[in-house]
Amino acid sequence: MRSRRVALGITLLVTALVTVPVAVPAGAPEAHAVSEQQTKILRVGVTQEVDSLNPFISITRTGTDILRTGFDYLTVYNQEDYSPIGSLAESWETSQDKLTWTFKLRDGLKWSDGEPLTAEDPAWTFNKMLDDEVARTANGSYVKQWESVEATDEHTLVIKTKVPQATMLALDIPIVPEHVWSKVADIGAAPQFPMVGSGPYTIQEFKEAQFTKLKANPNFWRGKPKVEELHFIYYRNSDAAVTALQNGEIDLVNRLNPTQFDSLESNPDIARNKAQNRRFNEILINPGAATFDGKPIGDGNPALKDIKLRQAIATAIDSKTLVDKVWGGYAEEAQGYIPPVFGEFAWSPPEDLKREFSLDEANAMLDEAGYRKGPNGVRLDKQGKPLNLRLMTHAEANLDEVAGPFVKGWLAEIGINITLQPLSDNQVNESTTRGEFDLAFSGWNANPDPDYVLSLQTCASRPNAEGKGNTPDSFLCDEEYDELYNQQLQEFDRGKRVDLVKQMQEVLHDRATLVILGYDNALEAYRKDAFEGFPLQPREGGVIMNQQGYWGYYGATPAGEGPVPVFNDDGTASASDAETSEAADEESSNTGVVLAIVGGVILVLLVGGLLFARGRRRTADERE
Amino acid sequence: MTAPSPRALAWRRRGAAFAAGWKQYASQRAGLVGLGLLVLIVLLAVLAPYISDQQGLDVTKATGGRMEPPSGEFPLGTDRVGRSVLLLTLWGARVSLLVGFVATLLSIAIGTIIGILAAHYGRWVSAGLMRVTDFFLVLPSLVLAIALSTVLERGVGTIILAIGLTSWPSAARLVRAQTLTIEARPYIERSKALGGGHLHVIGKHVLPAVLPLVFVNTTLAVGSAIVAESTLSFLGLGDPDPMRPSWGSMLRSAWLDSAVIAGAWWYLLPPGIAIGIVVLAFTMCGRALEAVLNPRLREG
Amino acid sequence: MSDILTPTEDALAEAPPPTRGGGALRYVLTKIGGGLVSMALVVVLGFLLFRVLPGDVIQTMFRGRPASPELMAEAEERLGLNKPLFEQFLDYLWRLLHGDLGQSYVFNVPVTDKILERLGPTLLLVGVATLIAVALGLWLGTRSAWRRGSRFDRISTGVALALWSTPTFWLGMLLLAATSGLFPTAGIVYSDTAPDFLSQALDVAHHMVLPTITLVAVIYAQYQLVMRSSLLEEMGADYLTTARAKGLRDDLVRRRHAVPNALLPTVTLVFLHLGFVIAGAVSVETVFSWPGLGLLTYDALRVRDLPLLQGTFVVLAGAVILMNVLADVLYRVLDPRVRAS
Repeated sequence: MRSRRVALGITLLVTALVTVPVAVPAGAPEAHAVSEQQTKILRVGVTQEVDSLNPFISITRTGTDILRTGFDYLTVYNQEDYSPIGSLAESWETSQDKLTWTFKLRDGLKWSDGEPLTAEDPAWTFNKMLDDEVARTANGSYVKQWESVEATDEHTLVIKTKVPQATMLALDIPIVPEHVWSKVADIGAAPQFPMVGSGPYTIQEFKEAQFTKLKANPNFWRGKPKVEELHFIYYRNSDAAVTALQNGEIDLVNRLNPTQFDSLESNPDIARNKAQNRRFNEILINPGAATFDGKPIGDGNPALKDIKLRQAIATAIDSKTLVDKVWGGYAEEAQGYIPPVFGEFAWSPPEDLKREFSLDEANAMLDEAGYRKGPNGVRLDKQGKPLNLRLMTHAEANLDEVAGPFVKGWLAEIGINITLQPLSDNQVNESTTRGEFDLAFSGWNANPDPDYVLSLQTCASRPNAEGKGNTPDSFLCDEEYDELYNQQLQEFDRGKRVDLVKQMQEVLHDRATLVILGYDNALEAYRKDAFEGFPLQPREGGVIMNQQGYWGYYGATPAGEGPVPVFNDDGTASASDAETSEAADEESSNTGVVLAIVGGVILVLLVGGLLFARGRRRTADERE
Repeated sequence: MTAPSPRALAWRRRGAAFAAGWKQYASQRAGLVGLGLLVLIVLLAVLAPYISDQQGLDVTKATGGRMEPPSGEFPLGTDRVGRSVLLLTLWGARVSLLVGFVATLLSIAIGTIIGILAAHYGRWVSAGLMRVTDFFLVLPSLVLAIALSTVLERGVGTIILAIGLTSWPSAARLVRAQTLTIEARPYIERSKALGGGHLHVIGKHVLPAVLPLVFVNTTLAVGSAIVAESTLSFLGLGDPDPMRPSWGSMLRSAWLDSAVIAGAWWYLLPPGIAIGIVVLAFTMCGRALEAVLNPRLREG
Repeated sequence: MSDILTPTEDALAEAPPPTRGGGALRYVLTKIGGGLVSMALVVVLGFLLFRVLPGDVIQTMFRGRPASPELMAEAEERLGLNKPLFEQFLDYLWRLLHGDLGQSYVFNVPVTDKILERLGPTLLLVGVATLIAVALGLWLGTRSAWRRGSRFDRISTGVALALWSTPTFWLGMLLLAATSGLFPTAGIVYSDTAPDFLSQALDVAHHMVLPTITLVAVIYAQYQLVMRSSLLEEMGADYLTTARAKGLRDDLVRRRHAVPNALLPTVTLVFLHLGFVIAGAVSVETVFSWPGLGLLTYDALRVRDLPLLQGTFVVLAGAVILMNVLADVLYRVLDPRVRAS
């Protein structure tokens, strides 16, 4: 009897495990929907883990995204077009020599716990960063050149810098409450929850690798958000996040790939947002890396010093195919260095300079430059060595993984042999900074002011002998380019500066130390049965998540609660004029069922085959 | 040893034993089916360059659309850049089988050497070697293999090393047990008494007696190695060369490009089923061989 | 991983030779001593292996952000990375003895905290899956052996082998595709589930279904096959013939005599194969985003968080070694043959 009871117990256990949960959440979607209506929760799926919610420490995309909603800043980028506007600070002025900045804080600011927020709080935050190296972990670069910070009265904050600093209106530093943080012994430790903050939400709870919960902050100076709770839920892979969106387990998700974005098209409850990114994607071609003082470093193939070779490589890379095949059409074809989202500075090569993709043309260029083909079709460099180049890719990046084989294929056609080298993000960063690469995938998020990305290609941005100290991009060091760079720095006439910036892009295009691949779109989706919509940044064609600000989460509008607000620069909000949701056709998909059936049938066949084959095994067994 | 006749005699004896073994093997349908499947798959893999065009693996020459369902032109549909899944599966067999075979040979070689040494030499060598073996046996081998693949440059060689270096302990134990049994037999005693050195005893007596068992173990281990390869490739540690796809790297592409969401079953199923069939085929062969060669099963 | 098909050799090799009564303590001590040596090896290997991972730790910490050389030197000093390797090793040992596994570079929290956070979900998943797999395997294995050659035997053994032959992650992917919408596809609990225990427990159970099924499907085969073959071996034994000759009923013979004896090698195997189960857990946790140690290990590897890697490696390997020593001792206690002598 005993074993029968055991067997029964096991069966019960298994059935319980499988069926009870099925039975319970059979009604779960409704249960979720209901709870949503009672307390309005915005559940956001994120695919990157939070590194830390300590405002001094966090540097990941997700971490900063959450902190942006929990802590306000002196100034923020506006919703319309990324121009800096006041947030905690109402106004500011600078001295003649641009070394002293005086910020005036708003009246009546309050922390989420009701304590008043005064100039002492930013002063304490910044001074902590000046004094304590650990507090500089995340945002230390902003205060590197600061002299002193002082709160002269309750509303006035005075910052003195050692040299004029262009980023003073874009200080991406969360302001923390002095009355809480001055009692913290270890400034780098994980914070205590709930956190006292000043943003539209306050951070309540953090479950590592699971979720972060935030609650609406009634003391936020712009007013309480319409959503009562904001949950960031971590999904390690984006498919799971998409499934969760389809099941109504989450309301908003971003960083979709083309397949996922397409598959959501037919879902009537889901709205999609195809946004212009600030990002450009490129392949670097090492032109002979050197330190900022001109000493060669790294192990780049010396053949790449030849501009003719680099130009031929650039001619053999087809942006159109990459846009179609890699980004599934959700991208824009390569033009200049500055992404088209910043229309004013963006440049596209005129007809006579344009490099039309042509393998024949590239081959002809190489023939003319004297690169003979070797016995196995691989060209030989000037020293007679075959042209074997490495292409470094980010192992976790879909773009690199899909685009890498294309580049390899094209270059093989022009007699250049490519070895793909997938490395972790950090390894790619290190190796490229040390100049230890031939070709490498790269890309940057450009800012409304192009200065930073332009500076990446100057001689001065090259690193020291250990490959540290600066962040180089392509190791270009070009007199003409540097000359233009310095001119645009000092040019106060906007039109003339735009001209200079375009000239710089022309130089970059000609030198071919980098090949622009294209500008991919940010693909986002949300439940339109639960949410009316979200404020985008920039307002036209912009993103909901990963904004340079809190607009998207702050202005989240639950279904039936009126139009999505537009946030004006003066601190007011107005109703939006455009509907962000899009219509979608209804079409159901049975692929899951098909998969299950096909899988099942095949399993049965496999087993059946085995059984059939094992039919005579009995004899062997019986001899035992 | 100089006269040819004893050697010829020995060969004749081996030939007869082989024939008897084969007869016994052939009497097991599972073994025959497994062997048939294996021969077929290996043939397909070897002949891939002759029955298909490798150029089809080049993404820049792909003619299909993104994840097209099966059609006349693409019997198993296309992958994320429009290559034929059938072609990829065919060529994937080459890498998967290669890794499976070589990694297993490496692991069996290490295992055999350590196993024989541990059994043949005295207490201390044995104790030391077996401690190391036990240590590796319990280590989470996948974690170790992941670490190894990260340390070394990515490629087929690294995968082989990572699998080979982490999967030998069970072979070592098996070989040791078998060697102990054999060394207890009187003819080893005799050989030692006649002045046979370690090399002689191991090379002439122990190794031939252990080899059949090793062979069985090899057959069974190839399947595991293929699964291990697919897992490492799936985790993104495989060979990045697009012209050398493996079943594991196909599944990784399918996974990364959301074949599950898109319901692209033609992209998900073939590599997985191929792995299943090959592993099963090896298992069937291994079990049949075991029944022939394992004395315990035979004498029962 | 191939051991499942040659299970008895393994199990036998694992079986302690029957010694006379006085050897019991000695046997236990030897086993514990062996375990300690293995632990020492793990500790050393953990240090060395992750020390040779390529890449600059300091650069990793700053994630490619611009940082002054002074800042980097400071960080290097703080982490003791400028000391000679041997000194670093001594530091590491000393801290390890105090339960301190260092500070995670990426998360900026003690590694011990991080591991403790992730231990629960892994224990839950691996524990439940192992229990079900063992129960299922033993039951199926017993039935197959008892009705050797029957259709049940052929089908169940065939299914087990087929499942065992498929890669874990692929099985997980198919399950995901086939059950889309029925079960949560990732994580361990919804963020908006009511905080009371029952709701939470049910939600966790709901989240566990797919990962558990996947893990069970892959690991139960070995228990079934070992149980089957050791029971077959046991059934040939003389004492069973005697028992039957005494007139005992067939199923009584099976339950009272054959099964308990055949259980032993199988139970030993449960522990011996924990490493295999953990490998499965890495795949399963990756596919289902289960916030456990396996996922932590893999994520730590991707960003090369050395202290975290070292920590997870030492903890995982240590746990497996501990379990093995326990199994050896238990075996000694449980085996009636050993006990009797």
